[in-house]
Amino acid sequence: MLLISTPFVALARSQSRTLGMASLPTVVLPHPIGGTTMDTIIPKLDAALPEIVAKLTQPLAAAASSTPAAQAQAQRVEVTGEDEWLDVQVAMMERGWGDGLPLVPPTQARVQAMLRYTDLAPTHVVGTLAPRMGAATVEHVAINAVMAGCRPQHMPLLVAAVQAMTRRELNLYGLQTTTHCVAPLMIVNGPLAERLRIHAKGTLFGPGPWDNGVVGRAIRLLLLNVGGGTPVEIDKATMGHPGKYTFCIAEHEAASPWPTLRAERGFDAATSTVTMIGGEAPHNINDHESTTAGGLLMMIAGTMAQTGQNNVYYAGEPLLLLSPEHAGTLAAEGYTKDDVRRALYDLARVPLRRFSAENIERRMYRKFPRRYKDRGLDVDVTIAQRWEDIMIAVAGGPGKHSMYVPTFGGTRAVTQAVLRAGGEPWRPEDFE
Amino acid sequence: MLLYSPEARALPVSLAAAGRPQKLDGLRIGFLDNTKAPVDRIMAYLSACLSERIPGITTFQISKQHPSLPAEPEVLQALAANADVVVNALGD
Repeated sequence: MLLISTPFVALARSQSRTLGMASLPTVVLPHPIGGTTMDTIIPKLDAALPEIVAKLTQPLAAAASSTPAAQAQAQRVEVTGEDEWLDVQVAMMERGWGDGLPLVPPTQARVQAMLRYTDLAPTHVVGTLAPRMGAATVEHVAINAVMAGCRPQHMPLLVAAVQAMTRRELNLYGLQTTTHCVAPLMIVNGPLAERLRIHAKGTLFGPGPWDNGVVGRAIRLLLLNVGGGTPVEIDKATMGHPGKYTFCIAEHEAASPWPTLRAERGFDAATSTVTMIGGEAPHNINDHESTTAGGLLMMIAGTMAQTGQNNVYYAGEPLLLLSPEHAGTLAAEGYTKDDVRRALYDLARVPLRRFSAENIERRMYRKFPRRYKDRGLDVDVTIAQRWEDIMIAVAGGPGKHSMYVPTFGGTRAVTQAVLRAGGEPWRPEDFE
Repeated sequence: MLLYSPEARALPVSLAAAGRPQKLDGLRIGFLDNTKAPVDRIMAYLSACLSERIPGITTFQISKQHPSLPAEPEVLQALAANADVVVNALGD
């Protein structure tokens, strides 16, 4: 039996259905529950008690046998109207297909063209995307890519991204349904990044006449249309964030003084990768004055050390996106990536006294009793559980700005090679 | 204009649910704390209320590690071993 607060009813029922327990009994409590005291919660529980007892003993309704089977082939929808462009846009919007922006209509000709750069069958299921656990066939990937404005050359990146998002450690279910404001950030590494116009330099988060926008948007459309992350109903983000429209960049490998993200994760120079990270909106780190590594690290750490981020409560891998000039300042003094990680782990700390008494008692002491309880209020809270968990990549153009991307916490970054069906990597020369 | 639908359905899944008891008297009631605030207190309160009202029940409360991650196998095994019915929670 499941207790739910009011705004989460649709999510709970959808999940019960998806996980094969459509008849799971539920009892709904009036929202809010979190952030309130037991004085306000107890009357709600008292009122619900008879229903709780009844639901625990009520025979379950017969399991729904009419769960619609996944279809290998996408459905076809006829749209007619006088103003074809406008009517098609309205029809797609009314079906809930989009992100609120105009879409490229997924016609047969466009979808067929999109399949040019894949050697997988259109009906091949690349993976299932949470929370709906929708079966993302190659054809579904192509359809959503068309709608986002992608080129056929982007298909291998999108297939790899879907593969990455199905990995358990990313926790796509959590990313798609949480009230936390998080979206999968896609970082492309390797020779395909430049070939497929995934921008790694100035204003890489946008806007610009390169392909970051459409590729990131295709990921979002897949999360909506296949993953079922319907805003408000299933995607419970309190605020959302701009990266939920599109959130795709490349690492500026040529400007990095260190091993790249993909090299650190065990991929060779010929293999391009996509890394999916459950990230918040990036937060700027402005430091024009520090000319020493020590000074710069102090400023970066000061920006990273915040009380309200998930990474101080949960595990996870916060991301530091260093500009080439900031990375150069650190490397010039001989800092390796691991040196930077260790330094930030030591410097980017928040004294326990900066947390509210409620958070200290209910979160820090409860989740990490050995680390914080009975150790006074001057004990430091780290922004990662281990120094190795701090992720670092290099990107951006000229200037003294870097970015901090806190993560969801209950998620680990996943890196997936961009591979052909036979397992060999896609290479730049494979594309026209 | 003929459009291809971008929507995909789930692969069908069906789980067999355990039989339901007709009454709770004498049973073991499990409470799964998902670690969202303040679910531990809610479960403890319900545990006390049900113990008071229903003869002969025993209660068992356990926490999983993270609210948005599935309960760990050992948590599920403990619930299966120690509870006849389970109360879970979702939401804020």
